[in-house]
Formats: sequence, C-alpha cells, structure tokens
Amino acid sequence: MGVSMSGLFIALTEAMNFAPQFATAVESDGDGSLWLLLSGPASAVGTYWLIYRYYRNVDKSHGYEQETEIESQPITGADVKVGERNGTKDSSIQGDNKQSHRSRVKRLP
Amino acid sequence: MSDIDPGTLGSESTGEKIDGSSPEGIQVDLGGDPPSPETIDTANKRLDDGVNRCPACGATDIQLRPSTGMLACLFCRHEWAEEKIEDTIAGSGSLQDLKGTQVASGASDIALDADKVLTLKCGGCGSEVVVNINETTSSRCHWCRHMLTINEQVPNGAVPDALLPFALTREQAIEKIKNFAGKRRLFAHRKFKDEFSPENVVGVYLPYMIIDSNASADVAGKGEILPRQYTRGTGDNKETFYDADVYEVTRHVDFTVDDLIIESSAERANMNAFVNTNNVINTILPFDTKNAVQWNANYLVGFTSEKRDKDTSAVQPVLEHQLLSIARSEVLPSAKAYDRGVRWETERIDIHGTRWVSMYLPVWLYSYYHVERGRPMVHYIAVNGRTGETMGSVPVSHSRLLIAALTGGTVVQSVALAILWASV
Repeated sequence: MGVSMSGLFIALTEAMNFAPQFATAVESDGDGSLWLLLSGPASAVGTYWLIYRYYRNVDKSHGYEQETEIESQPITGADVKVGERNGTKDSSIQGDNKQSHRSRVKRLP
Repeated sequence: MSDIDPGTLGSESTGEKIDGSSPEGIQVDLGGDPPSPETIDTANKRLDDGVNRCPACGATDIQLRPSTGMLACLFCRHEWAEEKIEDTIAGSGSLQDLKGTQVASGASDIALDADKVLTLKCGGCGSEVVVNINETTSSRCHWCRHMLTINEQVPNGAVPDALLPFALTREQAIEKIKNFAGKRRLFAHRKFKDEFSPENVVGVYLPYMIIDSNASADVAGKGEILPRQYTRGTGDNKETFYDADVYEVTRHVDFTVDDLIIESSAERANMNAFVNTNNVINTILPFDTKNAVQWNANYLVGFTSEKRDKDTSAVQPVLEHQLLSIARSEVLPSAKAYDRGVRWETERIDIHGTRWVSMYLPVWLYSYYHVERGRPMVHYIAVNGRTGETMGSVPVSHSRLLIAALTGGTVVQSVALAILWASV
C-alpha cells in the first residue's frame, strides 16, 4: 500500500483552501455538528502530515534571518490612514504576509 | 466588543522615525557601468603546489586532527594550524563603510578553459605526477611516496580562499546520526532500517560563498488595525463582524549582514524537498566562519570535497532574496501595531557594498539511496562538522503511516460521534 506524497500534499493544500468556505457554510448552518463529523478525517490527515514531516523534514531550512549576525539602524517610515473597512467578516487583512519574510512581492528597481 | 487605540502605532506621520534616533540615510547611485570588483589576495604564500613539508621534521604525511582542529604530522606528531583568514579579509573597517564589490581571489570567476589536470614536479624525487584537480587537491608521488598538494588558486573553483577544519570526530558524528535515526525508527521504511549503517558516514568539505553586505531596503504596503469587533444575530445565528482602519505603511531599514552563507555548488543549491534532500544540509548552517583558516590542501587529506561551480553573479539573485527576507524580518517589530496584519506589496533593495569569500565548510554526511515507486532519491543525514547540529531525512513506510493516521482519525471520530450522540 503506498500513497503518493505529492498527491497528499496537493490534497492537503486543497483542503486548506476549502476550509474557510466550509467554515462559512457550517457557521451559516448554525450547527457545530458538521465540524465534529469532520474532526476524524482532519486529524487523520494531520497525523499523517506531522509524522511525515518529522521523518522527512521537508519544511526545514537555514533560518538566516535569525541565525546570521545582522546590525540594523533604527527603522524609519510612515503610517498614513487611507480608509476604513467596516463590517467585514474577515478576521485579518487579505493577503497578510507580515510574517512571510521569504515570499517575494513586486520588486521596485 | 473592543476598542483599539490607533495611537499605539509608532508614528502616523510621514517620514518619521519609528524607533530610536534618526538614521543617516545611505543613498549611493550605482548608475552607469558597474565598477570592476576589487580583489583581495588570499593566497597562502607560504605554500606551493607540490611537496609541502612539516615545519618540524620535513615529512609530507600531514593530516587534520579533528579533536584539536590542527594539522598534525604523522611522523613526528608536531601540530600546527594555518593563520585565520578573517584579518586578511575584513581588515579593520566597519561593515557600514563597505562600498562596491570586493571579491577574494579564491572566489573569482571560474575559467571555463581552466586546466582539469595539473602536472606537478615532485620535490622529493623529481618525477612528474599528474593530478586531476577537478577531483582532488592532493596526490601521492607513485615513485617516492611523498604527498603532493595543490595550494595555488587554480581558476576552476577547486581551491577556495579559506576552509573551516572539522572539529567533530567521525565517532562523534556516527553517534549523532545514530541518535537522529534512532528517534525515527517506528515509521521508517523497513529497507532503511535493515540497511542503516552509520559507519559509512563521509566527511565532506562543501563549497559556500561567505558574503558580507551593507544594504538598505524599502518596503511598502497596507496595514489594518482593529478598532472594533462585534456580533450580530441571536442564538445559533450569531455572526462576528470587524471594523478596520486601513493604513498605507512604508518602512526603510539600513542594515549590515556579517558572513551570510550561501551554497556555491549548483547541485547543493537546488533545494526541492520532494525531489532531493539538499534542504537538510542547508538546515545545519550556520558555521563559526570567523574561525576559518587559510587554505592548505592537507586539511582535506582523509576527507572528500565538492568543487565550487557557481560564480558570484550566479549567487547574486540568492543573496538579494536573502537580504530582502532579512529586511522584512527586521521591520517586523515596527509593524506590530497592525493587529489585523500587513500586506506588503512592493519591496526594494539597494546593495551598497558586498564582500565575497569562497570557503569550504565541514559536513559529516550519511547518505541512503532509496527508490520509491520508481523514483530514486538520496536521503541525507547531515552533521555540522563544527557545532554537531544534525538534520536528516528518513524514508518512511507509507503503509504504517497510513495505519497510524487512520487509527488516530478513528479514535477522534469515535469521540466526536459520542459527543453528538450525547447532545441529541
């Protein structure tokens, strides 16, 4: 019995993408029972991924942002209020990449 | 419902400092043709290609003793070390004064037409010995048995500016590898468990570029602060809503990075964890590169090495990516007021100065060749030859992993069903 790891990874990614939509559906249903029914498959996938990661360490790399000697001058910048978003159901800003230091955005020359 | 005071932000006005005193902005226009890089000569003038003798007895059988980190003569037991490279490279200036591009002589571009073999005249007997310098930097004279070493910086990437000698012995490395694999026995692939033989560990000097940088970065994007959240509806139809203040956020940071370590072998730099396991070798970085010594091929006797095949221009994109990541990491504390997060949209890096040094770093490497569904992969367990930090990849038994996952899932599902049953 064998499971393709790339297949599992894709399935996991799809599941993570699908989760918010599903959460909305369940919330509008107003009943937490669907969450409980999903907890079994979710924990099976989670267990598989956690053990696999512990053995293969596919997510590991050198943390050069913390492990290198860096000297920074005081940070400068600006914070200008440009608007308000009232009554949104999103609990965080869309596309939050504050912590994703390695995900590149548009590069200015 | 909660109210957040926007005044918790460091600053709301344009261009003000976020923390500390006002920085001196460094802006250098690097327009026009880029200047030629300045070269730092790191050649070990004391040594030549060919016979290099023990300073005490004149023998040529010299080897590194990892327990002391010194070169040792196998005849008279005299021990010594080459000079540290740091003073030659860094000089006395601060990294904030680093301007332009400085490249140490051992990191200069690889010449495609560089000789692949070198003919050495043996200083012991006068015979000529051919050394394949793509493969090795030492060879024994087949007539008089003297050891001949390559110490001049051949432009093929085989002789770096410096190296960091092994400080961890083979036995210590084996113990580390045993411990690492021992903790991962239960779900390891059966063949891996049967064939696991850590005594096959190999000491390898891997090639890296060690880069000092002086840079500035700018990032800009949107940030949101939560002044209020509230719920609407009653009973099971409650919904949470958020009000958010939206800000244009810009940040500027001037920073220096000392001894950033980047792979200079194209094969090792290729890190795709689903195709190879080079990422585990990358994970055991960093090394104490300040203790690196001048090149002496005798440090490599008894070990293997991998030749550098990337020039500074090929490493430059990786350097820029890492400097941008560092900049984003450095500005993070100044954006903590944005409790709904920040979406950085643009970024810019100005590199005012870099200093490049080519270096061999010591890694104990255990490799296991494993074929899964017709796809071969080499699984490494790597031990940092200085610090002992260990990381590896162990092939798993997917069937056992699946059983464990299904068992766990079934238990959780049973509990969930019991809760549902009780609530009916």
